[in-house]
Amino acid sequence: MSFLQALAYFLREAAVGLARSVRVSLLAILTIAVSLFLSGALLLVSENLARTVREWRAEARFVVYLARDVDAPGRAELGTALEHGRWTERLEEVTPEMARQRFEHAFPSLAELVAERGEEALPFSFEAVLKTIPPTEMSEFDAWVVELRGRPGVAMVDADQDWISQIETLLSLIRGLGFALAAILLGASVFTIASVVRLTSFLYREEIAVMRLVGATEFYIRGPFYFEGILQGLLGGLLAAGALGAVFLTIAPRVASSLVAGALAARFLSPIELVALVAFGGIAGWTGAVVSLSRESLDTPGG
Amino acid sequence: MIRFFGVSKRYPTGQSALDGINLEIARGEFCFITGASGAGKTTLLKLVFREDIPSAGQILVNGRNVALIPRRKIPFLRRTIGVVFQDFRLIERKTVFENVAFLPRILGLDRGRQKRVAFEALRRVGLSHRMASFPSQLSGGEKQRVAIARALINEPEILIADEPTGNLDLDLSREIVHLFLDIHLRGTTVLFATHDRVLIDSVGHRVLTLEHGRLADDRPSRREKFPAQLVPEVPAVAALASGKTHFGNLA
Repeated sequence: MSFLQALAYFLREAAVGLARSVRVSLLAILTIAVSLFLSGALLLVSENLARTVREWRAEARFVVYLARDVDAPGRAELGTALEHGRWTERLEEVTPEMARQRFEHAFPSLAELVAERGEEALPFSFEAVLKTIPPTEMSEFDAWVVELRGRPGVAMVDADQDWISQIETLLSLIRGLGFALAAILLGASVFTIASVVRLTSFLYREEIAVMRLVGATEFYIRGPFYFEGILQGLLGGLLAAGALGAVFLTIAPRVASSLVAGALAARFLSPIELVALVAFGGIAGWTGAVVSLSRESLDTPGG
Repeated sequence: MIRFFGVSKRYPTGQSALDGINLEIARGEFCFITGASGAGKTTLLKLVFREDIPSAGQILVNGRNVALIPRRKIPFLRRTIGVVFQDFRLIERKTVFENVAFLPRILGLDRGRQKRVAFEALRRVGLSHRMASFPSQLSGGEKQRVAIARALINEPEILIADEPTGNLDLDLSREIVHLFLDIHLRGTTVLFATHDRVLIDSVGHRVLTLEHGRLADDRPSRREKFPAQLVPEVPAVAALASGKTHFGNLA
């Protein structure tokens, strides 16, 4: 029998097997669908959150406000220190006049407040665009910020990186929990599929005995059961992907205006991620079949 | 063709099924194996097609020690041995054709050739008109004939039958026996286990008698041919008795 003939046979027999024990097969498919749906939802949320954090990081501000009594040489010294900083990519001097113009542009209705206080209203500052800081250098960066805050002439350091790092830590935690949850759910799915395949192999035990009797190889005997597991997994994956898409299409437009929820549902999974989700179902199904078809479970009279 | 050298089979429970069996069955021989229930007939047959392995001794089939055949190669041994059981062991959800054509299919024959060889095997047992039927639609005798057709599909060198007439009435039993004789006349080695002494005596081929796992008697064949009057109503038998079959003139 050629490989393609064998595949066609396995597929046909697997479909018959699914139809024969339709209720338990549905149970297995639904279990894996729920597992993959929750895993996919976690993936979707964490991907969107990660993208949002990346965008925030790209737009993160690092502003050093100077005290009013700092003279020009002091400013120059601080500017040089910042410009040669390890993580500084670009540095811009913002004079009180420039700051006032920006404020008036951003908050026209409050422009009078600033105008009343004249030059004293807003301080001199340095705005830096920082390079991406690797997680391994975050503690050194934090130490640098602390050192900057302690320098004479520095009134305040406004570093968005502080809270972005905290969000990234939270994101890592969510991902870790997500992986753990997905692993548990998929383990349950594999167990369910293994049970269903074992049940099917039990239903077919006499046929298996006959197959062995006439000289069928293990490949030929086990193939349909492996395919049954794969089919269950793929169907569960497709169901999960479909449900995920439906939920996303329902929820995303409603939460688009919300800052957090909108960010978490900004983009759906990519086609590659969807294919991976469905394929993962297939792999889980195959694993379940392999687990269930230990030699003992197929050894029947005649074998 | 088949040789047993001091073969014993003892189960983990301590029960002895076979004890020091020595025998030789030549190629093309028809051999009855008889004995009371529990005498070891089925165990002896199982050892030949490697459904079980002996606890002691060696079994050679075509010069090969079957107990030493690796597990993955057992299917290839079984493709050279046809096996028929008392309970037919047909797949109920498959048609007669699908039951019989199973081996050709796993051997990779195309659908057309599968049909041809299945048709030929079923024609030999007189059931070519029931290819589309399901086992549940067949009588006991017809089911056994389908099982025989399945066993014959690959032209096996050895045909093993474990009480193939055990579930059949006298007439059907005779019919089935004569199918085996027909197959034997084409050169197939036949091992036929039965406890029906009347059936055995009416045919007259070699008889191995087992008692409590020991070979109690090995009676050589008394006949070259079986009497046509045994079951004259079976056309194949009548033809065989006159030296003619639907496969050609055997005389």
